Amino acid sequence: MSRVFSGIRQTWRAASTNPIFKWTFSTLIWLPTGIVFTDYFYTVKTVAGRSMQPTLNPDSSPWRDIVVFDRLTARVFHQYNRGDVVALRSPSDSKLIVKRLVALPGDKVKTLPPYPDAEVCIPEGHAWVEGDEPFHSEDSNYFGPIPLGLIDSKLDFIVWPPERWGALPTPKAPDPRAPRDLNWRRDMADFERQERRKARVTIGSDTS
Amino acid sequence: MQSIKNIFRNTFQRAQTIEPSKVAYGALTVVNVACAVHLFLNHVGSISFVAGPSMLPTMSPSGEMVLESRLITPDSFKRGQLITYISPLNPSRIVCKRLIGLPGDIICVDPTGNVVPSTEHVVVPKGHLWLAGDNAEASRDSRMYGPVSMALVRGRLVAKVWPLRDAGFFKNTFEYID
Repeated sequence: MSRVFSGIRQTWRAASTNPIFKWTFSTLIWLPTGIVFTDYFYTVKTVAGRSMQPTLNPDSSPWRDIVVFDRLTARVFHQYNRGDVVALRSPSDSKLIVKRLVALPGDKVKTLPPYPDAEVCIPEGHAWVEGDEPFHSEDSNYFGPIPLGLIDSKLDFIVWPPERWGALPTPKAPDPRAPRDLNWRRDMADFERQERRKARVTIGSDTS
Repeated sequence: MQSIKNIFRNTFQRAQTIEPSKVAYGALTVVNVACAVHLFLNHVGSISFVAGPSMLPTMSPSGEMVLESRLITPDSFKRGQLITYISPLNPSRIVCKRLIGLPGDIICVDPTGNVVPSTEHVVVPKGHLWLAGDNAEASRDSRMYGPVSMALVRGRLVAKVWPLRDAGFFKNTFEYID
């Protein structure tokens, strides 16, 4: 038995002088902390698809957006706000999809075409999610209110492309006296879209 | 007495010579081990308490511990298994119910007729499960909130470990009638 152990020890000593082995080993040793960090705190992901245009992956950008998702508020504290961009598991095939949180439990929402009813009241523990681009998006207008438990993380920060680097902006009404160039019209369009979305939601008394 | 004093002094002196970098490394190692244990419990399996009257008589309302397996795949589900999932009514609650219907099954929504008339039937959609408590009177389950998405499922219960006299694997109580 002791011979086996001394053999192991000798192999170990020989291997631990190898720099490649050393690097791999120390990385593997610290892997659990890394996985827990990405599972419960922050994670970086690439957004595919055009359902969140023009907030994410606008047609003007040749790249896919790379963004930071915050898992702490959604998974650990279970805090959700209307207007947040969230990643959630699709209820039908469990894939991660990115949508905007439109309504929370107790709210009333005026729905868009594919949905059978004109207005829904969001039940307890559920939420209404929609893509910013309504015609390229499979969202609550298809599958109805989703359980809050499906929400995986909240989008916090755009990392790539560099010209849109920074926290996700909230659209504000542009200055009416400013010159009405391309940027002004884009800001105005973003703001109007946000206002239209808000106008379809009647906020209920349930704030849980 | 003298010797105890000496021991104290020695420990104190040794404590002063400990480098902060070593302390930090030790703390990080503890965190790392805790993370590894957490990952094992979260992805392989763990022992947890069950509470609530909804699964009577399979499980008593309090004081029982069960072994939960997290090693599940979408095609490993079988009717009659005990499934744990995040409650669609409250994202911070984990609940356990019996798996009644797989995707494509036609389900009688409420055979007892308490919540909805027993003539109502639904087809379980793709990627969803129909889950119901064994004690229909005191259970909030698919009869109330409809089919549950597989994305909410966490694992399945394998065995009861406490109390010891009831310990054993859960049997699949499902019977098929030809």
